[in-house]
Amino acid sequence: MNRPKSRKCFTRFKTTGFRSVFLRATLSSLAMIAAFASPARADDLYLHGYYENDTHIRAADNTGKTVGLSKLRNTVQIEFKKGILDSGFAVNGIFRGTYDGVYDLNDKQYGDNAGGAVNLQTTTPGGFVDVPHGGGLNHDQVAGLGLTNNTFGFNSTNPNAPGYNPNSALRVIGDRWHSINGGAAFGVPVRPCDIDNRGCANFGGYGNKKGNELAFPEFNSRLDFIRELYIKGSIPVGDTSSVFVKLGRQQVVWGRTDLFRVLDVINPVDYSRNNIYDELQDIRIPQWILQTEYRLGGTRFLQDANFQLIWNFDKFRPNNLGQCGTPNVILDAGCLFRGLKNLWDNGGTVANFANVAPGVFLATDFGPRTIGLRNIDLPKWSLANTQIGGKFEGITPGGINFSLNALNYRSQLPSLHGGRGATNPFTGVASDPNPYLIAFDLVYPRVNLIGGSADIQLRSIKAALRFEGAYTHGEEFANTLHSELYSRNDVFRSVIGLDRPTFIPFINPNRTTVISAQLFYQHIFNHERQQGPLGPVGMADFKNNFIGTLLIKSFLVNDRVSPQVILANDFGARAVVVAPSVDWIINDQLKLTVGGNIKSLWGNIDRYKFDDCRSCNPFPPFTSGPNYPNDPFQPGSNGLGGIEPLGRFRAGPIGSAYKEDEGFVTLRYSF
Amino acid sequence: MKKHNLIAIFALLSGLVAGTAQAVTPADVERSFNPYKDGMPSFPGLTPGMVINKDNVDKFKDVLDAGMVMVLKNGWSEIKVAPTTQFTLNQHYIEASLKNAGSAQLGALNGQLTGFVAGRPFPEEPSDSDARAGEKIAWNYKYGINWGDGAIIAPFYWKYRNMQTGKVERTIKFNFHFLNFKHRVQDAPLPEVVPNPSQLFRGIYVNVIEPDDLKNTQLLIQRYEDDLKFDDAYLYLGFQRRVRRLATGQTTDSFLGSDLMIEDFEGYNGRISDMKWTYKGTKNILMPYYDHNALQLTDEFKEADGYKYVDFGGQGGCFQNITWQLRKVYVVEAVPVNASHPVGKRVFHIDAQVYNINRTLIYDRKGELWKSFTIGKAHPDSHLPINKGSGIAIDDSVSMIDVQSRHCTTAQFKGQIDPKQNPANLFQVQNLRSGD
Repeated sequence: MNRPKSRKCFTRFKTTGFRSVFLRATLSSLAMIAAFASPARADDLYLHGYYENDTHIRAADNTGKTVGLSKLRNTVQIEFKKGILDSGFAVNGIFRGTYDGVYDLNDKQYGDNAGGAVNLQTTTPGGFVDVPHGGGLNHDQVAGLGLTNNTFGFNSTNPNAPGYNPNSALRVIGDRWHSINGGAAFGVPVRPCDIDNRGCANFGGYGNKKGNELAFPEFNSRLDFIRELYIKGSIPVGDTSSVFVKLGRQQVVWGRTDLFRVLDVINPVDYSRNNIYDELQDIRIPQWILQTEYRLGGTRFLQDANFQLIWNFDKFRPNNLGQCGTPNVILDAGCLFRGLKNLWDNGGTVANFANVAPGVFLATDFGPRTIGLRNIDLPKWSLANTQIGGKFEGITPGGINFSLNALNYRSQLPSLHGGRGATNPFTGVASDPNPYLIAFDLVYPRVNLIGGSADIQLRSIKAALRFEGAYTHGEEFANTLHSELYSRNDVFRSVIGLDRPTFIPFINPNRTTVISAQLFYQHIFNHERQQGPLGPVGMADFKNNFIGTLLIKSFLVNDRVSPQVILANDFGARAVVVAPSVDWIINDQLKLTVGGNIKSLWGNIDRYKFDDCRSCNPFPPFTSGPNYPNDPFQPGSNGLGGIEPLGRFRAGPIGSAYKEDEGFVTLRYSF
Repeated sequence: MKKHNLIAIFALLSGLVAGTAQAVTPADVERSFNPYKDGMPSFPGLTPGMVINKDNVDKFKDVLDAGMVMVLKNGWSEIKVAPTTQFTLNQHYIEASLKNAGSAQLGALNGQLTGFVAGRPFPEEPSDSDARAGEKIAWNYKYGINWGDGAIIAPFYWKYRNMQTGKVERTIKFNFHFLNFKHRVQDAPLPEVVPNPSQLFRGIYVNVIEPDDLKNTQLLIQRYEDDLKFDDAYLYLGFQRRVRRLATGQTTDSFLGSDLMIEDFEGYNGRISDMKWTYKGTKNILMPYYDHNALQLTDEFKEADGYKYVDFGGQGGCFQNITWQLRKVYVVEAVPVNASHPVGKRVFHIDAQVYNINRTLIYDRKGELWKSFTIGKAHPDSHLPINKGSGIAIDDSVSMIDVQSRHCTTAQFKGQIDPKQNPANLFQVQNLRSGD
């Protein structure tokens, strides 16, 4: 069903009815729990929880329109812990339910009424010309050239015919943060998948969600309302040594850095909750894991030594990058995937595509199964698809705390394998493969990681120094120099961090202000990038990149008021975010946080432009053009570029969200 | 411990000590552990059962430290006087003190000690003529019996209070664990926990149970035998789920927003070498030593075993409702070596018998009184059954008053001398990582 629709009245009633019933049920449960919840009792039952309202307001995006409400998230979390007799083992559980009212209260941005008709673009020597979705170069025009079997064009007008893909309920890919400006672009459906299923598919736990599933994200087939549920305990095997076991749905955290995930890659992360701005503990996606540790304690050479083995036997889950049409779509990736999937399934108009004359790039109506996202390869559960890791951790007599880590896992970020089998739109003949064709399969490659971390006190400067590094083999990156439009590259990542409590008398003469600085570095080995006739070709990601972060956090009024500011600067993207906030602990039950995040570019956005493969000539000689100097009979990129689709990898999570300035108020009541 | 047992120990061990060439005699050791051998101290007009308050404080200012004089003059609290009682210490510790008497020697630098084995390193009476007497008292405190070889305070309630309004701003529920890695005198393994390649002397492990925003916070402090080596401290933050190494300076910050810093724990929780120590004299003053079970206790926190906690009252609820007794104390002034330390100086009142710090006046860098710190000490025989006969005076109640901001932190203890609850692996960094 491709038809975008408005909900009928009864549907709306049913929907809101369900939501309010859920809320009532939740609140009733809360009341019951609160009635008997008390501080840890003598019978060793621990039961606690909180209710939190997190409300965000977003400023105008690149379209110039104020976004308004971007989150009205109501979270109820219940935690329990119960010892098992006197065994030394305990059962722990954390249950979480969320209702985000933004889909009901700002439905023109994020809900059932989001999107509309869109204009794509044609470039002419005289400038850019708006072209509506469905108004590009089509079958009849190409047939006029004698290619009568061509498959250009798609159904944007007949709701009763297959592949209906009208110009409604759409947004232009990336319009939140950049203009088309001569680049490639296409329309992306943005409504929940029960309202508009165009481009909907399971990209890895997101991408095919209905309105209720977006509003209540934990209540899904993976039972995400069970945040954590595990049994843990220690078995003594000596005076100071023991075997520690933790089995169940859990988070396993490696590494010593804040914000970055160099070693902390065992659990995937749900960026749809609040992009990169929530605490990792709240957005890691817990996995079913067996964690065992042999804790030697002190040894002859180390004050503390520990071997850890991790077996993540859960069905694979990648990071949740956010479904298109929701407030937090990191890197705008979810929109790219949905847009590409819609292009594959139903066809669509791609802006500035066909180079039919010098300086002329026509908006082109592609038919289904020509370009876009063909398949999503989500690994099914099998023993071979489980993930395993090990760590050795120790403390030297000199006080250096270190770890050595190794992990065999699946990349939590997808890779797009291009050049897939598709229909040649000029001949109507299917072929496979099609080198350099922007027809993709989405896969999650296997990755091996080795790394380590360490921390030490630097007494001379009264600071603690942290280091974390990892080398991976198996990660994949977009690469337009390769016929499948990706390459596999080894990567080294590291973070060095310095924490220094510092007396700043004008802030607090009796209490230090925490200053914490980190520098993240990423190096991609065998990085490929070369200059094509029309621009750079190869890998959009930077060969070397740095991101610096600075946290300044002070504590006032017995730590009950804590203002802080976080600055993060992506040197490659030349993008910066400043995130000030103030925590006010009103009492043990009530905490108020007010803050915001403001992003800015300190470079030109054109810096993000990169080869978009419009000039890749995948169907030679048809797709050669007068502006493309390469051999018209050989596929390969000429380097014509724009911000879409690869600019997001250069912009990073800060640059691609630089038009998403937000203010927020969070109120948490603990019980 | 019964008095005749104590005499027997001295009799048995006196021959051993007499055979050494050290200046410390068994009599010195006996006097150190029983300063009231010749009778309990007294002061004209001071009688058990009486109450000292703002109306009569001037008559008794000679048996009060300056901080308590201020408290009473301001009418913030009253002192109920009880008879002075013996707090006879653990026999194993006394035996170790006798056996090793005279073996400990100060090194050339403040913070250096050689020859120390176990027990009280310097049992001899401090002398005004000894320029390093303050340092020796500090060593006696550091290697004091304190919580024994290992103990736990669980639960441990801290309240942050507005002293002017009495409003309780926060209530924190902790578990505190203490373990001596070295110089152990009673509980296996003796004399130290091995292997111990870093040569740790002591560990303190703290786990926050409540409230929600702090729960699962864990703190591990590792103190090295070499006093010149900085402590290592690790913090596990529940909301980050990882262990952070604390930078040195953070031990002098407000601990979790309280009026105490990590350095305040147990009276003083820094290194000897962090301070310049000066012995300021010996006095008989009123000290917060009492029989826990004889107090009017609070029913506020329910315990399955019926244990009740010390109650608080006075201005803002900042003061223990306890009894005080006239005791012999050593007054020692400690000035931080680090010029950027937030404290200007600490004036410690150290109980001569127990060698605990029970009254401390903390001055800021400008020399003005900043905090008044009281650690109430309960006799172990008037406390939980598990503590009876332990010979370890129990830290039982705390009041830390920020007199400048009129704010206080009070603490109510359930201290248990229970080595079973303090296995060495609890004091490993890896243990923190198994937090929830």
